[in-house]
Amino acid sequence: MAADLHIFGVRHHGPGSARRVLSALEALRPALVLIEGPSDASDLLPLLARPDARPPLALLVYAEGAPQRASFYPFAEYSPEYQAALWAAREGVEARFMDLPAAIHLAMEDAEGDEDAADIIEGDNDERTPENPVARDPIGALARAAGYEDGESWWRDVIEEAPGTGEAFAAVTGAMAALRAEAGPDNLREQRREAQMRLEIGKALKDAGDRPVAVVCGAWHAPALTDRPPAQQDRALLKGLPKAKTRATLAPWTAPRLTRETGYGAGVPAPGWCAHVWRSGEAHGSDHANAVWLGRISAALREAGHLVSTASVIEAVRLGVSLAALRGRPAPGFEELREAAIACLCFGNEILWREVERSVLIGAEVGAIPADAPLAPLLVDLERQQKKARLKPEARARELSLDLRSDSGLFRSTLLHRLQALGVDWGRLIDAGKSRGTFRERWRLEWRPELAVSLVEHLVFGPTIDQAAGARLVEQMRATPGLAALAGLVRDALTAQLPAAAHEGVAALEKLAAQTSDCLALLQTLPPLAEIARYGQARAVEAEALAGLTRRTAIQAAITLPQAARGLDAQAADEMRKAVLDAHRAIALAELSEDEQSVWAEALETVARDAAAAPLLSGAAARLLYEAEGLTAAEIGDLLARALSPGRPVSDSAAYFEGFFSGAGARLIHDAALRAAADTWLCGLDAEAFTASLPLLRRVFSGLDATERRRLLDAALSRGGRSARHRLAPGADALWAARLPELQRILIEGRP
Amino acid sequence: MSDPLRPPAEAAYRAELEALRRSDDAPKPEGWALSPRAALTYLMGGETADGTEISAKYVGRRRLIETAIATLATDRALLLLGVPGTAKSWVSEHLAAAISGDSTLVIQGTAGADEAQIRYGWNYAQLLAHGPSAEALVPTPLYRAMQGGKICRIEELTRMGSDVQDTLITVLSEKMLPIPELNDALYARRGFNLIATANDRDKGVNELSAALKRRFNVVSLPLPDDPEQEVMIVAKRVGEMARSLDLPEPKNVTEEVARVVAIFRELRSGETADGRVTLKTPSGSLSTAEAIGVIVGGLSHAAFFNDGALSSEGLSPTLLGAIVKDPVQDKAVLEEYLELVLKKRRPFADYYHALTELL
Repeated sequence: MAADLHIFGVRHHGPGSARRVLSALEALRPALVLIEGPSDASDLLPLLARPDARPPLALLVYAEGAPQRASFYPFAEYSPEYQAALWAAREGVEARFMDLPAAIHLAMEDAEGDEDAADIIEGDNDERTPENPVARDPIGALARAAGYEDGESWWRDVIEEAPGTGEAFAAVTGAMAALRAEAGPDNLREQRREAQMRLEIGKALKDAGDRPVAVVCGAWHAPALTDRPPAQQDRALLKGLPKAKTRATLAPWTAPRLTRETGYGAGVPAPGWCAHVWRSGEAHGSDHANAVWLGRISAALREAGHLVSTASVIEAVRLGVSLAALRGRPAPGFEELREAAIACLCFGNEILWREVERSVLIGAEVGAIPADAPLAPLLVDLERQQKKARLKPEARARELSLDLRSDSGLFRSTLLHRLQALGVDWGRLIDAGKSRGTFRERWRLEWRPELAVSLVEHLVFGPTIDQAAGARLVEQMRATPGLAALAGLVRDALTAQLPAAAHEGVAALEKLAAQTSDCLALLQTLPPLAEIARYGQARAVEAEALAGLTRRTAIQAAITLPQAARGLDAQAADEMRKAVLDAHRAIALAELSEDEQSVWAEALETVARDAAAAPLLSGAAARLLYEAEGLTAAEIGDLLARALSPGRPVSDSAAYFEGFFSGAGARLIHDAALRAAADTWLCGLDAEAFTASLPLLRRVFSGLDATERRRLLDAALSRGGRSARHRLAPGADALWAARLPELQRILIEGRP
Repeated sequence: MSDPLRPPAEAAYRAELEALRRSDDAPKPEGWALSPRAALTYLMGGETADGTEISAKYVGRRRLIETAIATLATDRALLLLGVPGTAKSWVSEHLAAAISGDSTLVIQGTAGADEAQIRYGWNYAQLLAHGPSAEALVPTPLYRAMQGGKICRIEELTRMGSDVQDTLITVLSEKMLPIPELNDALYARRGFNLIATANDRDKGVNELSAALKRRFNVVSLPLPDDPEQEVMIVAKRVGEMARSLDLPEPKNVTEEVARVVAIFRELRSGETADGRVTLKTPSGSLSTAEAIGVIVGGLSHAAFFNDGALSSEGLSPTLLGAIVKDPVQDKAVLEEYLELVLKKRRPFADYYHALTELL
């Protein structure tokens, strides 16, 4: 049959190809358009082409009852497949997908026992067929071989040079035939896909009669579809393949997800650039289009607070042209413009470029799907999990108490935590702060219909609740600047049992901790870290990485502490003391190695002995060391004696005294050396200084109960007879007894 | 006359330049000795059409040199920026040699440079005897470059005072040098351009004014990307220095260079080589040139006190000096690096101990 078949081999997500496909379709006016895509999702083509479906969006096919087995087929505005679908809808021409049905694809994966992860299929190759990287993006591979970083610039310089549309696609098919001959036979999956496409083409030709049929497929397949072997051979290849029960729908997608960078994307190196190429149309490569692109870069630079003049943009356009000439290219492409931007707009500073690179190259476009798109798998997954957890969505609020030690309690809690991570607060923790670390959680459940809507909005993060929750937390972690907030997100990830997100968060924490030299922030990060580690155990989550991070933060805090302890005013010193005490407790909890503890102890000792450090901190550090037996009684006596010696300003000594003794007044009862040092200091104070110190003394001793106070008095008066320094005057017993209430008033109330 | 100690680039590489000129049939901008593409081959190395081997003058990213040459072809001035020891002057000399066939029109920027060193000076005897005249005017390299349509090089632009730097603004934007004393102006011939080198992280440099900076296209020359390349550069240079100081070349120079360069690279890049630990970076530039300095500093210790071998004890004091430029901040950075990274790395144990002791 001399079929009127026209095959347009394209670059997936290639704006150059998209433009060529459109003009080819316009010229050919086919009766039927076949597009590479799962043939069991053809029903969705009209939905895809509707004006209220705004790209970027993805075709989503998932196994019924098991939404974690899903495939995404993302489309950008400039994807040739999407543009072909739009054209067909506009012109009222029938369009069909022609690739292997997703039902078979998913079933085969099941058979292969792949891990539970949705895969993103960029029309042509999913992540699972890495054997042949050339087949993934053959145009890009050809471009790289020719010394281009950007496939679109190569396409324009080489393919678009061809005078007629037919010639352009013939040239591509020819190049692919040569590449395929070089690469050898494809794997079985690829062979099956091509067999399926050939069969669909055969069927389409029959349906179309002698009217033309257009095929839009990845360039790689073009040669294999041109020459078709007998249909029986292809049918044999596809015979007896398993089929899963599937459902298909559309999902909104985002520009960042289109990039390869996220490891989740559709393999467009720079969506921002591709969108620019698509929108500049035939003018792509002209001075005007280049000025538009460089103008976008300079706008981003200005937004970031850098001075970029219009004259610099003009110079950048000129430099781009001159660079292209030097490289023997007809017009500046992506690389030339980037280098021109660095030299003229960023003043040679690549760091400046990297600062704006993301916003310029990737952008933040978000797609939208029609409101009546079929049910999203996230909702299906929610229904399934609700059934499993035996929790019904009820609008009436009710309380739920969970025991985390039981499997069902843990399952329910995990589900609720994951929904919270998705911003769907069906359940709210009651007295969240207090219950942490125990085995019990109390929730208040209340379902509202809009929660379903906000759940569907998160489809972009993944088809199931756990995948979506994890991906959303990761995105939040990337946007969080503060250590403590980040630690909070890591805790959320751990409580929601999302180990991948927790892992990512720990890595981010590590990076942030490395860049933080603020001792206070480091110290304040330690308690939540230790808390997470402890809480994580109740949740049966691996806390290895966190322990490493705790170690690291402890060491960094220890290194910065001696510097940070200096030059603080009273308020800052008080804050720092609190942080040091909390961090000390956290370090004790964190089970650090002896080596690491010794680094911390050394830091404390430096602070304790440093005359320039804030005395309040020195005192606290000395006490901590003494309690941990890092200093002997004799050493601590010397230290105290020096700190409280009359040579120092009274205010310093008082602060040291407070730092040392607050919360530890009872030590004075038993420790003669300490008492002697304190005694000497107190006795040396003149009346004014003593009065000024009274509130302080009251603070220090307020922790003691009546018996302890009495014992302290006894000790101070040497009733035990050990000290010879204070001898009572004759008849003092009687005198003293009369004065005792007054002294007690001084000590207790702070005034006579 | 005896041979000069170091001939200029166009003399040292005469054969290569001539071979390129012979086989160069690409269009040349007016006033250029070579076409841009031939100039690129001269800088990056390669082969001419008639098979003459051209040595590589710059080892590094090709696209930087492409940008530099394309800039000069647009008649925009070129500013080569980078920390000391990144071959800025070397690249500038060879660019001038390739494009103008003359790399000797150089102005050395110093804190003491004044406007007369950039524009023109006066022969005072003439000036007093005959008043201002063309004969009394003493041209500078910039003046001669404008007159002859050649490339003028300015070394260390940022070391000149800001007011002196700004003398260049008119020259760069209008390609013209006014001579108000003679009621005249010098208009540059085609082929004239300017290559300046500057360094942005050193002490004692003046910020470029925005007006001047805008008139340059800037190319930043980075420190070497590839660790092996850097080790090679350092080891080679240390060997040369040892010979010129009449010291024996140490036996284990490559291993020690590799270790010092590894420490330098990690601190400079702010992460460990395996990318698993992020670090803070010290305030100094830690350039390749400084790594050379550290090893050379250890040479005499090796020769006289350590049986001709470099050792961590001999190198650590200079290493410390190279890293700790700011006594407070950099010290904390180094301490953190020692505790977090070197302590656990067995091959660096001696550096850990030697440096910890010195701190």
